[in-house]
This record gives sequence, C-alpha cells and structure tokens, in this order.
Amino acid sequence: MKLWVKIVLFAVLVIVITAICVGLHKFNLKHPDTAKAKPDFVVAATVLQKEFEDNEGTASSKYINKILEVTGTIASVTPADSTHLNIALKTGNDMSSVICSFQNITDPSKYKTGEEITLRGECSGFLLDVLLKNCSIVVKRK
Amino acid sequence: MKRLFLFLFFLNIVLAVNAQKYMTKNGYIGFYSHTPMEDIKGDNNQVVGAIDISTGEMVFQALIKSFHFDRALMEEHFNENYMESDKIPKSIFKGKITNLKDVDFSKSGNYNVTVEGDLTIHDVTNKISTQGTIEVVSGGINANSKFKIVPEDYKINIPGVVKDKFEKSLEVTVAMKYTPIANK
Repeated sequence: MKLWVKIVLFAVLVIVITAICVGLHKFNLKHPDTAKAKPDFVVAATVLQKEFEDNEGTASSKYINKILEVTGTIASVTPADSTHLNIALKTGNDMSSVICSFQNITDPSKYKTGEEITLRGECSGFLLDVLLKNCSIVVKRK
Repeated sequence: MKRLFLFLFFLNIVLAVNAQKYMTKNGYIGFYSHTPMEDIKGDNNQVVGAIDISTGEMVFQALIKSFHFDRALMEEHFNENYMESDKIPKSIFKGKITNLKDVDFSKSGNYNVTVEGDLTIHDVTNKISTQGTIEVVSGGINANSKFKIVPEDYKINIPGVVKDKFEKSLEVTVAMKYTPIANK
C-alpha cells in the first residue's frame, strides 16, 4: 500500500473516532451542575417575582434559560417523591412565589419554612409563580 | 349590628365557595415512551392544577421548559426541535369529571372517574377523554390518571430517522395532591 493511501486512511480513522467520541459525549451529557456554574444573574426572590408580574415578556427574555442565584425566605417545602423536592420562596405577593425544583435532595426535613436560603437554578418561566429547575443550595441561614 | 350580621353572612358564603376549590402548584405530569435505543422519559413537578368539587371542573397548566430529562441533549431536543418551547411555552388542559355523582367528597376513599376536556399542547387543541381516580384523603384530594397521546395529533413533528424507532403514542401520567384553596 502506498504511503499516501496509508496517511489518508489513518486520517479518516482519526476523524471517525473523534466524531464518535464527540457524539457519545454530547449524547451522555448531563445537565450543568448549578452548584458550580457561574450565575448569569444574582437576584432576590421578591425582585425576580415582581419583574415577571410587572412585565412577563421582558422578564422572560431576560431570565429564561439563564442560571439565576436567588435569595429568599422559604415559604414551603413540598416533596414530590423520594428524590424530588420543590422549595417555594416568599415574595411580595402572597399568591405568587419562586418555586425551585431539586432533583437530588433526599432529606426535605433539613429545610424549614421561615429560613433564609440562597439557591441556584435554571429559570424555565412563569405560570402563577416563577419556576426554576435543576436547583442546588448555595447557602442556608436560620 | 345588622351590618355585622350581613358581613358574617357574606364571609360565610365566600368561605363555603372557597372550600369547594382545591389546588396545587407542585403537581406532577410525566411522559414515557420506550424505544429500542433508549427510554424517553420527561418529568415535571411544577404543574399548577385546580379542581372545583361542586362542578367537577379541572384545570392543569404546565410550562414545557419545566420538564426534566436525565440527558441534557434530550431535554434540548424536546424544547427546541419538538415542542418549540421558546415560541409555545405552556400546555393547558381544561375539562370536567363526567360522573361527579359517583364521588363522595365527604368520605375518604378511592373513586373511579372519567374526565373529558380540551388538551392544548404545541398550540393544538384536541378533545380527550380518560379514566382516572379521585382519592379523598384527610385535608385534601389526590387525582391520578394515565393515558396515551399521539404526538402527531398535536403537530409535533418527529423526524423520519427517529420516527421509525418511536412508538406512535406516549404514555402520560398525571398525579396531583390538591389542598383546599382557603388554606393557602
């Protein structure tokens, strides 16, 4: 076999292997770890909810798909099943909060109503409340 | 005195009306489909749901972006290619229990119900009818249902390559734990 044929074959092989690796990596990619990710916005729960309530369109284009670091007082803790948990943060409106969904919290009793908390999560938008997903705890204060 | 009496009278009506309505902001809707390559499973624990036990009316509302998938790529494809969630962020169901007389909301227990209504996904509304259960528990009401939907009915285009590996329908699971609105 001629040398240039060998080189071409080798190059093709390298490209194919790289493509498979990149593909597999993308396929198996997990969600960004919000505990380590740099937040796009640092905001208080009351301010965040008010922005959505005042102008959902503007707040949506500003916050949706972004990682937010939110500080607020826990209004309620609702376990969905053994590993999923929603923590709602109080805002200026009694009917509307910031609801943060956690994928891997197994001990809901650690979080109590009235405690102040800072958490990070991905904003998915506004229903009656501002919704965050893939959340992780940053700081917890009594 | 007369005024106080009137006030109490109206307060009583308001409370009585409120006691008929239950809601949750932490409801669950999930879907599942098996393909030879992998299982497709999305979960949403931030569904808003309300039920009026005097009329049997039920409403659910969910943000598409609140669905969680184990694989980030699957979640991205779900939002961008199939559901177009930037353009169409919400899904809504509005319906009614058709056999309300079979449910005794004053007595704990499990009751089989039929729910009929309009399901809007991807800006397409279809009439659906499904079986489910209402569980009357102390301090609340639980509602559960499982049914199938066909993505094509909602103009959700699944590309040819993927389509062949895909089951034609997805199984949807609904699980709500309602509490009385007056307590909120």
